[in-house]
Amino acid sequence: MKHKLIHKIVTALVLVTSIYAQDSVVDFNLPSLYNQSNKISNNTLRGKVVLINVWASWCSGCKEEMPLFVDLQREFKNNKFEILLSNIDSDSKNARDFLAYVDKKKVLTCVYDKDKRLAKAFHAIGMPSSYLIDQNGQIIESYIGSLDKEKIFILQKKIHQLLGK
Amino acid sequence: MKYLLFITFVISFSGCSALTRVAPYEKEFLSQDKMSLTPLPERAEHEGHIFLIREASAGGESTFQGGCGCR
Repeated sequence: MKHKLIHKIVTALVLVTSIYAQDSVVDFNLPSLYNQSNKISNNTLRGKVVLINVWASWCSGCKEEMPLFVDLQREFKNNKFEILLSNIDSDSKNARDFLAYVDKKKVLTCVYDKDKRLAKAFHAIGMPSSYLIDQNGQIIESYIGSLDKEKIFILQKKIHQLLGK
Repeated sequence: MKYLLFITFVISFSGCSALTRVAPYEKEFLSQDKMSLTPLPERAEHEGHIFLIREASAGGESTFQGGCGCR
């Protein structure tokens, strides 16, 4: 009887913690890809709808979707939606070189996550991985694999919904 | 003799426990050109296809996706 009760309590605790861990964004404070002294944290993004994208320059799928992200960010100029790229290259120069080619005007915000903290925290099961986060820091949706135009269109609708339009 | 067989059996399978799964975000060096099955792109595609059929999993040979077979 006692064992059963303990088992139920442990199961409930595990379930509650796993749900909590998956739903909210982890705390982070990472340097910008362009300027190491400029730190970007989850507090900086509070109150905004954010799309966190874990990417690397060695990942072909990540490179495919990047121009679409540039267009998506350009569409939301009101500062209430932000795409945050989290780069995990071992050499940040490769990422900078690629972004200099795709995102010449530096429309996208990019942090350099050498230790792959965000990828580990999100338990990214594929590359690239994207996570849509609402104004309260809750993960609304996760996308595994590169996003094509069709998926970006659906994502756009979702962002508009979150922004209350 | 039985003990000897048992010990041999245990030792031969103990290596299996040390297998580690490489996460998709840790495949930077596996994605390099020199790590492909063949240097010829046409042949790599063919060998990738054979690998896919044999292993019944898509994407396991490259960095794209996690080799879960979901794409």
